[in-house]
Amino acid sequence: MKILVAEDDELMLKMLEFRLKKDGHEVIVTHDGREALAKIEEFKPDLVITDIMMPFLSGLEIIGAVKKQYPNTMPVIIISGMGQESVVLEAFQLGADDYITKPFSPNELSVRVKRFDRASTS
Amino acid sequence: MIGLLQVSMMETLLSSLIPIIASIKLFLTFAFVIRLRTLGLVIIFFTIVMVVLLVFILIFIYLKNKHEKKYAKYKIISGLLIRKAVFFDGIMLEETLIPVTKRATKLMVNNRFRKLFTEDLITAKNNITGTSAENLKHLYRQLNLHKNAFQDLKSTRWHIKAKAIQELNLMEIIEFKDNLFPFTNHKTELVRMEAQTALIQFTGFEGLQFLDTITYSISEWQQIKLLQKLSNLPPVHIKIDDWLKSTNNSVVVFALKLARNYHHFELHDLILTCLDHSDAQVRQQAIYCLGEIYTNETSIHLISRFWREGLKHQLLIIKALKNIGSENDIPFLLTLLPIDNYEMKLAAVEALAFNGKKGLSSLNSYCKKDIEIHNISMQVKEELVA
Repeated sequence: MKILVAEDDELMLKMLEFRLKKDGHEVIVTHDGREALAKIEEFKPDLVITDIMMPFLSGLEIIGAVKKQYPNTMPVIIISGMGQESVVLEAFQLGADDYITKPFSPNELSVRVKRFDRASTS
Repeated sequence: MIGLLQVSMMETLLSSLIPIIASIKLFLTFAFVIRLRTLGLVIIFFTIVMVVLLVFILIFIYLKNKHEKKYAKYKIISGLLIRKAVFFDGIMLEETLIPVTKRATKLMVNNRFRKLFTEDLITAKNNITGTSAENLKHLYRQLNLHKNAFQDLKSTRWHIKAKAIQELNLMEIIEFKDNLFPFTNHKTELVRMEAQTALIQFTGFEGLQFLDTITYSISEWQQIKLLQKLSNLPPVHIKIDDWLKSTNNSVVVFALKLARNYHHFELHDLILTCLDHSDAQVRQQAIYCLGEIYTNETSIHLISRFWREGLKHQLLIIKALKNIGSENDIPFLLTLLPIDNYEMKLAAVEALAFNGKKGLSSLNSYCKKDIEIHNISMQVKEELVA
């Protein structure tokens, strides 16, 4: 599966990239929201994993843009330290397919990603 | 004749002017030479300054680049090491060693690298849970980074101390709990807060021992944080009595919150004594507490205190009576209805409306003679139905 990861924390980004590559996925990394949108356009990934608080464009804006352009084909998983009910609700209202709150377990992420892998192949 | 005279006079004048003009000329030439020389000196001076500045900038850029390259290299090594720990697949026993490259081991001696690595490790630990987080803790110990944090506890700078305590707490270095205890009464609030939080994290309710010795005030924010930490733990019976008698008012307030949250009904009489405390915050907390921990006689004590309190506490007492009141309180509540204060009237009407059938009928009788109370009671009854 081709996965785009948008995360401004370099360490976290590298960890996510490492884990997802280890699971056999093709990973495209981006450091901010603007870059993420450009690469989504360019690579058309099967799944987008994004943080919320990022420079230029937030993760919520990314969900909005993705769901507008690729309503049923590109799932979005949010990984964020912001666990407030209002933010989670907003993310889901915008069309997010899953929400993981930091701190999170990389194993759990792996399992959640697999769900979308199965859904896309079936 | 006159013309000749004029010409000779002119000549005389001109001849007298010649030396003056000559001297001015000489002066101007001299001044020009001097000015030129000064200008030259100034140019030379500024050129030297520029060259020095340029050399300085070049050296600075060179050092900065060198530093940045080194920093980037450190970041890569640190990231690799952390990823290795996060995704370590082996069975993790106490004696298990996460593989660390020779280069990273060598760099651990370098103070700058160690600090950078520790910061990265903390960031990763804050973002990750589960087995991976356990692995990070293991790596922290394996590399003896806790010993550095322990050294930092001895620092004279408070922020280094606070950071070290936070680090030890995050990495769960529980064996340092005794070393952290003295910091729970540190003169700097942030150090105290970190130490108190760490002790509760390490030992649960037992960590509250610091309440026996603390002389500084515990801020409202810190009390919320501590209660939140405790709420994640299975409740155990704690001895609160002594804290309710503490000379530190914030300790009494915190103990009252504990008594209320963990339903220490056996402390009812001791909590009642707090109603007469000299500190307003203690009295306020005691009123809240008695709204939860009460007997048949609690309302009598609250009512006896009522007229000695300000409006804020009076309203709290009425609210407490709404929860715990009995028929015996109805006459007192009725005396509050004529008071010229809307908040007081509203609170009293609510308390009466909640005081069973008798309270409601007393309120209805009063409504007949007071239109304002009638309107308030209608509003309260509507809310009751809703």
